[in-house]
Amino acid sequence: MRKVDRIQGQFQILNQHDPALSGNGETLALIVDYNGRPTLQLRDLRNGKIIPLRHLSRNQPHSSPSLSWNGRYIAVLAQPRNKRLVIIEDRLTGRSYQFPIPGERIPVRLSLSPDASQLALQIAEKGKWRIQLFDLSKKIERDMPRGARFSNNSSLED
Amino acid sequence: MKLNYYLKKYFSYYFIFSSFLLGGCSRINMRPMYGLNDALFQSSTSYREPSLGNKWIVSLVNYQGKDKIEMIDMNSRKRVPLPGLNRADSQPISVSLSANGERLALIRQRADQTELLIYRRRVGTLQRIELIPKGIPRRVSLDSSGKVLAVQVSREGKWDVEVIRLKG
Repeated sequence: MRKVDRIQGQFQILNQHDPALSGNGETLALIVDYNGRPTLQLRDLRNGKIIPLRHLSRNQPHSSPSLSWNGRYIAVLAQPRNKRLVIIEDRLTGRSYQFPIPGERIPVRLSLSPDASQLALQIAEKGKWRIQLFDLSKKIERDMPRGARFSNNSSLED
Repeated sequence: MKLNYYLKKYFSYYFIFSSFLLGGCSRINMRPMYGLNDALFQSSTSYREPSLGNKWIVSLVNYQGKDKIEMIDMNSRKRVPLPGLNRADSQPISVSLSANGERLALIRQRADQTELLIYRRRVGTLQRIELIPKGIPRRVSLDSSGKVLAVQVSREGKWDVEVIRLKG
């Protein structure tokens, strides 16, 4: 058994699930059920406060959030008007990107790489779970940890 | 001439109004990385619960009806050995990878126990994390250092999220 410190949060009010931490461990994304509508919520773990989101307060139900290193990008699955989308909000510029899912595939879960250059999507297709990787490097800037640089093969160096 | 003037005016107002409504929202088509996907994932096998690190991906893979945790180096496109992690008597439920690929957090079902564990890849050790008060973990997320965990826990029929900071 490991000794742990528990961070006391104000996370006890509603049903909440699908936690995702930013790479630096300072931001937590989770899904909170508001009146039966699964809605993305972002919290600053340093002070427990809710961080407002410009674009992701609509297009519910939300599921499977994922954050980049510094929490600059937040990706989530959304289902506005029965259309399934990946939505990524850039908290630095205030822009959001909507990625419709190609084909008849049903997205189930996602994971954003720490630098936001790739997205892994779990999809249901022909009765099987599959994972597909998508390249985001030409569409959005990378979110890198402070003081880090990238070598030419995309691996991270401290 | 007058009609042209009004049409131009109408379309400029329409453009300004549409830009305001969209509020910096772009719709972009995503293209799968076909070459990499074909190299990493077998079409006959079921993969779920992806978690990306800097250059690795971990997921739960179903081989012959049994789930196991698999880690792939996306640069070399090779499976990474995880000695001592996958056991015949347990079923993984959720997995998350630290950015440097050194630590994995996982939830697994073993007999009638649902366990939350940290796996250190370099030394091949598994360490159990106790939830206080007791609860049933369902999903886990790890930060880049592998020392902060966010866990979805079921207690008294309600889902909660708990953040745990590991010492060391």
